[in-house]
Amino acid sequence: MKKELTYNLAFAELETLVDQLEEGGVELEELPAKIKQANELIKICEMKLRKTSDEAEDAIKKTINLPDK
Amino acid sequence: MTDIIKLSALVEQIQETIQDRFEGQSYWVAARIMNVKKYESNRRCYLTLEEYEKMNKKAEMRSVFWATAYSEIEKFEKITGQVFKDGIEIICRVKVRFHQVYGLNLDIVQIDLAHTLGTLELERQQTLDRLVKENPGTIQLFDGVYVTYNNRLPLPPVIENIALITAPNSDGQRDFRQEIAKNKHQYTFSVKEFLTTIQGDNAHKMIVEQLRLIEKSTVPFDVVAIVRGGGSQTDFKPFDDYELCRYIATFQIPVFTGIGHDRNQSIADLMAREQKTPTKVASLFVEHNFEFENKLIELKISLFETIKRQIQKTKERLENAKRIVKLSSPRAILNRGFAIITINGKIITDPGNIKENAELQTILRDETIYSTVTKKSKDEKRTDL
Repeated sequence: MKKELTYNLAFAELETLVDQLEEGGVELEELPAKIKQANELIKICEMKLRKTSDEAEDAIKKTINLPDK
Repeated sequence: MTDIIKLSALVEQIQETIQDRFEGQSYWVAARIMNVKKYESNRRCYLTLEEYEKMNKKAEMRSVFWATAYSEIEKFEKITGQVFKDGIEIICRVKVRFHQVYGLNLDIVQIDLAHTLGTLELERQQTLDRLVKENPGTIQLFDGVYVTYNNRLPLPPVIENIALITAPNSDGQRDFRQEIAKNKHQYTFSVKEFLTTIQGDNAHKMIVEQLRLIEKSTVPFDVVAIVRGGGSQTDFKPFDDYELCRYIATFQIPVFTGIGHDRNQSIADLMAREQKTPTKVASLFVEHNFEFENKLIELKISLFETIKRQIQKTKERLENAKRIVKLSSPRAILNRGFAIITINGKIITDPGNIKENAELQTILRDETIYSTVTKKSKDEKRTDL
């Protein structure tokens, strides 16, 4: 079974792609496939980030009753 | 036969002689008070004034405070913080009086408070000097402040277990417990009482005894509070006792005093942490815990802010990557005015692959243009686009 990508791994992969795109190192013919791959990585990263962000916010709400300002 | 006169006649003569000599006059005398009997209800106090040289009694006179002078005793107790009792040396103003039935008496009309205060202060200073001299490792004097092992002990971050030394059913006990129980932050404390008398000749020994019990207890006490209510309890002396003060100064658990005296500090106050009243000691414990809670909240807030910042930074990096990817898509390239050239559906990236007469498809944003190559030339002058 394929191990689930961590955020860091996914983002590292995305960064490599982005670097290639920025430097023009991608053959035009490969471009659509690379873009697709990049978009998939972005989706994974966004999902994980949203999850982490929601969890952190939950933890904040649960752990402290912030004094009324 | 010798003339016989009535006793009353003789006594009258004595009275007249004494009156002639002492009428309307008063004298300041220094003496020790003994056999003190106070009758608060009818405001009288009977006692003897005595004078000693070494151990020998040199003089003794029956004396009395009548109702008109009784307030002198009250003033004495209030101002000196000392009970008016046997053994105290005073300076007082007296009038000599002779009563036919009760005999010779001194009526005390005034007490020299300044003298008593001076004596007390002298004794107090002697005790303080001795404490510093005999306990150099644990009691020191810096710039008029007594620094002791005990009053430099750090407090635990949170105070939970309190050992309370106080008199049973006293104002001090009640005030302290009330303040702890009704604290506005609703903190709970565990208060164990060590009840003892805290005035009188043996009070200092009894308090030391309670401190020993606290030391031996299996409860890990965070602090010790010694409290005493105000009211008529004026005997301040136990708290100036050398042994008690030394015990407090070297005690292993931080000691707080709330023994309430407006005029001055006892030596025990100087050896410990002084808060004047039982209520103030209790409210200090509450405030101490409130400070800790505040710090904790601040720490949590700063922790979560760091997490939030981290997430925001990550989001921004991801957004940046997303933007670059979007700009790199063929659709975005076409939208920016570029074209893709294909021959038979195959993208041409090398112009060398295009021969004359080849049929090209030029793909633009919305349309494809079909054309035939009529001429090719190297673009020598092209600058970087």
